[in-house]
Amino acid sequence: MIKLDFEHRQAGHCESGVTSNMLHYHHYEISEPMVFGIGAGLFFSYLPFLKMQHAPTTSFRVWPGMVFERATKELGVKSMVHRFKNPKDSMSKLNEVLDKGFPVGLQVGTFHLPFFPPEYRMHYNMHNLVVYGYDDKTYYISDTLMDRLVEISYDDLVRVRYAKGTFAPSGRMYYPTFVPKEIDLKPAIIRGIRKTANNMVGIPFPLVGAKGIRFLSKSMRKWEKKLGPEKASYYLGQVLRMEEEVGTAGAGFRFIYGAFLDESADVLKQDWLKEVAMEMGENANKWREFSYMGSRNCKKRAKPDQSYDFLADMLLDCADREEKIFRRLTKIK
Amino acid sequence: MEDKQKESMEENNGEEGLLYNYNRELFYGFDKDRKFVRKSHFQIDANQIIIKQSWDAAEERLEAVKEKVLSGKLSTIAFFMEKNLMEVPMLADYMEIWKWKVRRHLTPKGFAALKPEMLQKYADVFGISTEELKNPDYSKHQYQNTTA
Repeated sequence: MIKLDFEHRQAGHCESGVTSNMLHYHHYEISEPMVFGIGAGLFFSYLPFLKMQHAPTTSFRVWPGMVFERATKELGVKSMVHRFKNPKDSMSKLNEVLDKGFPVGLQVGTFHLPFFPPEYRMHYNMHNLVVYGYDDKTYYISDTLMDRLVEISYDDLVRVRYAKGTFAPSGRMYYPTFVPKEIDLKPAIIRGIRKTANNMVGIPFPLVGAKGIRFLSKSMRKWEKKLGPEKASYYLGQVLRMEEEVGTAGAGFRFIYGAFLDESADVLKQDWLKEVAMEMGENANKWREFSYMGSRNCKKRAKPDQSYDFLADMLLDCADREEKIFRRLTKIK
Repeated sequence: MEDKQKESMEENNGEEGLLYNYNRELFYGFDKDRKFVRKSHFQIDANQIIIKQSWDAAEERLEAVKEKVLSGKLSTIAFFMEKNLMEVPMLADYMEIWKWKVRRHLTPKGFAALKPEMLQKYADVFGISTEELKNPDYSKHQYQNTTA
């Protein structure tokens, strides 16, 4: 049996929180927004051809695993990442690493997570949590979504680590092994911001970044005519769920990114970043307003308060704001 | 936005009478003083609406499939697939068989021809007994997430 002295701290975004908490265990203090920003976690993509729960997928962040890998690399932290074909191997490796005294981050599917809030138990394979100890057949878990520490049985843990479907975790586990004494945040921050800015305004593809938001806005105008009020409302709900649900998602990520820019302005001693951070905060509030208006539409499906055109205009406004913000950020030095 | 709306958006609606109140989450925000803040609370009611919407839709889909099973158009596997929010590709992944095979098992005829081992495997994936798989007690299989 082993139970490490791991401090559980809740977070807005599971992977950044997990990374920040694991580094905290290794005596390096870094906030969750800092990890999120350096790991270039912010993104936008609209994938109408990829259906999730019978509606198009909207994503407000990068692929799972990128944040941890990028952030640790930028910070000079050495880390290990494993995947296993065989569940037995992956579990014995997990025990072995815990025995050595390292808490381990895991990518899991949420459908079979017994301690998860029942309303979130859908097939979502991009969730992250930390295992900090084990006993005979029980594993001790710190999940940044949860307001308490939790436990899981061996069998259930195997099940969620080998969940199937899109982005199947296939037993992915990761943990930092060495944290340098002195870390210079400045170059890491600058590269992180450049990467995000490029993702948001530099990719010549219509479904991603600020362009992706415009594309979504354009298709949203056609939903009611094309799909009928019921389905249009469900599609809209799906966008909002991706924006608001598990791990604070969309609007939440904009807030986290704003907090990151705010913190970075102090570290880099560049005041103009403060301004941009404020713009980001306002932009995030606009997103939240959008989801608030949208959810009222979902409640009164037959006679919505706001037309889809109105909501689409709100999205266009967000797209313009983000375009402006990230164009400015591309010039960071 | 009207002031009233804004108010109800910002305040945390107390915490009573919320449908989903199992876990408090941490939320980031940007407040009136233009500061970034962190707060831990249940999902605000605007979000509770959209979460409920998705479970209501799931319930409707499940009800439709149940009708089809009862009228002999689909097998009970179709019912449990929907109950577990799965679609054919995902179920085939869990079963480690081809998709077209799963599709065949969704028909009553294909289901009748299933070998006991396969039945057992389906039952394991759905977390039920083979008895239950053959003769489901539908009243037991509803989403608990939707009832307040």
